[in-house]
Formats: sequence, structure tokens, C-alpha cells
Amino acid sequence: MFGLIGHLTSLSHAREVAKELGYDEYAEQDLDFWCVAPPQIVEDISVKSITGKTIVGKYVESCFLPEMLLTKKFKAATRKILNAMAHAQKNGINITALGGFSSIIFENFNLMEMRQVRNIQLEIERFTTGNTHTAYIICRQVEAAAQKYGIPLSQATVTVCGATGDIGSAVCRWLHARTGVLDIILVARNQERLRSLRTSLGRGRIMTIEEALPQSDIVVWVASMAKGMEIRPEMLKQPCILIDGGYPKNLANTVQIPDVHVINGGMVEHALDIDWKIMKWVSRCAPSRQLFACFAESMLLEFEGWYTNFSWGRNQITIEKMEQIGAVSVKHGFKPLVS
Amino acid sequence: MTNINYECPTYKDSYSRINAIVIEGEQEAHDNYISLMQLLPDQSSDLSKLAKMEEKHKKGFTACGNNLKVIPDMAFAREFFHGLHQNFQDALQEGKLVTCLLIQSIIIECFAIAAYNIYIPVADPFARKITENVVKDEYLHLNFGAIWLKENFSQAKAELEEANRQNLPLVWQMLNQVAGDAKILGMEKEDLMADFLTQYSETLAEIGFSGREIMKMAATGIA
Repeated sequence: MFGLIGHLTSLSHAREVAKELGYDEYAEQDLDFWCVAPPQIVEDISVKSITGKTIVGKYVESCFLPEMLLTKKFKAATRKILNAMAHAQKNGINITALGGFSSIIFENFNLMEMRQVRNIQLEIERFTTGNTHTAYIICRQVEAAAQKYGIPLSQATVTVCGATGDIGSAVCRWLHARTGVLDIILVARNQERLRSLRTSLGRGRIMTIEEALPQSDIVVWVASMAKGMEIRPEMLKQPCILIDGGYPKNLANTVQIPDVHVINGGMVEHALDIDWKIMKWVSRCAPSRQLFACFAESMLLEFEGWYTNFSWGRNQITIEKMEQIGAVSVKHGFKPLVS
Repeated sequence: MTNINYECPTYKDSYSRINAIVIEGEQEAHDNYISLMQLLPDQSSDLSKLAKMEEKHKKGFTACGNNLKVIPDMAFAREFFHGLHQNFQDALQEGKLVTCLLIQSIIIECFAIAAYNIYIPVADPFARKITENVVKDEYLHLNFGAIWLKENFSQAKAELEEANRQNLPLVWQMLNQVAGDAKILGMEKEDLMADFLTQYSETLAEIGFSGREIMKMAATGIA
């Protein structure tokens, strides 16, 4: 059995979903309530592969909201993730993806040291960040979108915003080794990590986002931001492709300019319908086939019986592992969403 | 691990009420399990064992107070438990076994587990050892009630929902009443609520409630 640990994108989103689902008691509550709300299994899911194999799983709502980070309620944020993981393990889930901020909180707050959750000792091999598959899918989205919109990568400048993160660094390594891209611009907050990444890649220009945008044919957004940022249209090159892989989205508003193409980054489309409601709530898209690549990773691990924390830690994603997960992604009927 | 001064008068003043609540809680639990023998005569032997464990816990927590040279404020504690105590007694008189089990075996045990787990990291070394052993037993007690209610879920469901409506708001009132004292002992109200709700929700799930039902039940009475 696979599991998905997810959360909603904001308090207003949480209230909206609660109201829609008929939980009036939750729809009227403030952030303090969400800080104490327990994790819940809100959906049982079944997924069929194009190989014919069917697997079952559960969606665990952690009740974490990004405002907990914005208001520095770090203890609540960490408790949400640990409780959701303990809940997944207690319910016998073999492999669970830590969606959205879950894996970032686990890493940044060093929850590896806090694995004893009441009477449950978390078994880390039961969890995966899903970042290897997300990084693989984003790279394939870069390649497919470049082709679709007539921007040859051999002549393109690609900016990775959030380049030093787990996903961002993996995307940089793939772009460098597998795509023949002309130029890579590295954007992130931590200058030391940026320099270290550039050294390991042997290439890449370090810039601020304001400097990078006017030069970029393609921008990959994978920064961990609790709230989206505004970008001014005049900062963008035209044509350009924006691949927004954040959850919540890194771009606060959908950019609507001719020749600026926004791609829903880190999303996959399955070849067969999935009977679930959860993706409608968490991403507000039309979701019978579309889902986050990190969620799909736990499905792939379940399909293959790879009960291991396939994606774990920071900056451990190799090109070989991206190819490995990519091969089974194709095998079971997932493809990058490019629309 | 913590910088709490267990000897300072402010700590001891708060401890006199919290320690009394714990001692009274264990005494109530002992008495309630003995009373439950009337409604579950075929499980008298198990109930007697549970009652004995609660009595042992009471002795342990009394020793914790003595160790810090604190006199527990038992009058405060008896008043603190009055609402839940009365509801249990009323249910007992009416032969409402399901309500009695929800109050003692589920609500009180979940609250004890949450409070003890939050207390352990901030407890003085003497109390920490005792509380660590107590909390292991409390999981067994919780299990006793959960198993019976699970086996009888279809008949018990409506009464459980009603008993939840009656008694869960009392828990939030009780928690608010001691939030200040708990904070001085190093325990935040938010942590206590969160751990209680997590344990309570998990137990309701084990008994047989759906996620939707649990979400509604757990939110009862939260302002």
C-alpha cells in the first residue's frame, strides 16, 4: 500500500475546501485550530498501471498550512509532519510520499532526530520525498516545452530559481549532463551553497532573480516559498517559458502575456483515470489523470515493490536515480504535463 | 534538556495543582474501573487489574509531589474533575456502559497519554522515570476500552456520538483552567490539545468511525 502526505496551500484554501466538503466546524476556524488539528486519512485510492497492475493507497491530510511557517509557528509545523508520518506508519502504509512542504520541513528542522513520536518510532525507509521523480519530470517538461514552443536548448539560457535545493540541484545536474543547454543561471538565497553547486557542475552563472529574468529563455521555479512572489511582465524575455514547480505556486499570479508560456511544473499525467477526489482539493485542477510527480513516486515504488526511501536527504539525487525512476514512470503510464 | 527551576516557589505553586490533578485523575480512574465491574461482570478480572495499576500510578505521582516537597491541592483537583465525575456517575446509574467507557477509557486515558507524553521531556528526573512507566500502562487501558467499543461498534455508535457531544467540551474547559499552571511546568496548551486530538482521533478510528465522522467529533466544543 502506498501513501501520500499532503496539505493545502493557505488558510483561505483550507477554509474553502472544508466548506466545500461540508466540514462547517473547520471552515470557520482560524490558524490556531489548524495548528492543533490531527492528521486524517481522507481518501482511499486505487491506481491502475498500463501494465495492468492495480495498487491501493491512502491520502493523509497533515493539516499543515504554509502560514505556520510565515507566522513562525515552527513547533506546530514540525508536529504536523511528524504526526502525519506516524499516522501513515500506524495505518500500515508501506511507502509514503512527503508532499509539498512536508519533506522540506523534515529536512530543514532536522526531524531525523525526532523520530520517536509518542509510542511510534518512525521507520524512515517507509517514506520518500518524491523529489527524484519531481526533478526528472521537471527536466522532461523543460525538454518538451522547449520543443513545443520552438526554443532550441542548444541556444537557450535556463535559469533555475531555487538551484541549491534538493530538486533544483538535481535539475541543474540533468540540464548540464543530458540536454546540451547553452547556459545555466543559478539563483538561490545562500551564496555559499550556490558557489559550491557551481563548482560541482563546473559551470553556471550566479545571479539575482531580477538580473536573471531578462536573460532567460526558460525559468524553472523550484524555490521553497510559503507565499508566491509577484513578477513584473517587463522583466521577462519574450518568448519565454516559466515552469512553476512550487507548492504553493512560486508565482503569485498566472502570467498572461503572449509568448510567455507558464507550465504547471512537477506535474504528471497518468494514461488511465484515477478514481479519487483529493487532487481536485489540493491543486484545484481537473484531476482524474493529473497529479504531483512526488505523489506518483510513491505509486511507482509500490508498483515496483521498491519499499525504500528512494528519495531522501538533501542533494543526493543522481542522474542515474532520475533515469531509474524515469524508466518506471514511463513503464506504468505517467508522462510529464506540458500544456 | 530544560532550564526549569523545580525548586522555585512559582513552579511549586503550579505543581501543587497539576500534581493534585494527576493524583485525583488516577484515583478517579481506579474507582471508575471498579464501578465498571457492575456493567461488565464477565470482565471483572481485567478491570480489577486495570484498577490496581491506576492505584499504583497514584502512589507514584504522590511520591513525585513528596520528592519536590509539594502539598497537592486536592480540593482544587476534586472540583476540577467534578463535571466528568458527575457525567460518569450519571451514566453508571443509568447503566450506560458505552458512555462510561468513552469517559474513562477513551477521553481520560487519551488525555492522560497526551499530558504525560508532553510532561516527560520537561519533568524533574524523579518524576520523569515514574511518568515514563505510567504512560506505557495507559496505552493498555486505552486499548481495553477501544477493543470493547470496536467489538460492539454498531450498537454503541449513536451513544458514543452523544457522549462525545456531552463530554468533549468539558475537556477543553478543564484544559483552559490549567493552561497557565501547565505552561509554568513547561507544557504548552497547544501541544496538549494537539496530542490529545491526535490520540483521540486515532482511537475513534480504531473503534470504527470514518474520517469524516472523526473530524466532526474531534472539533466538538472547540471555540
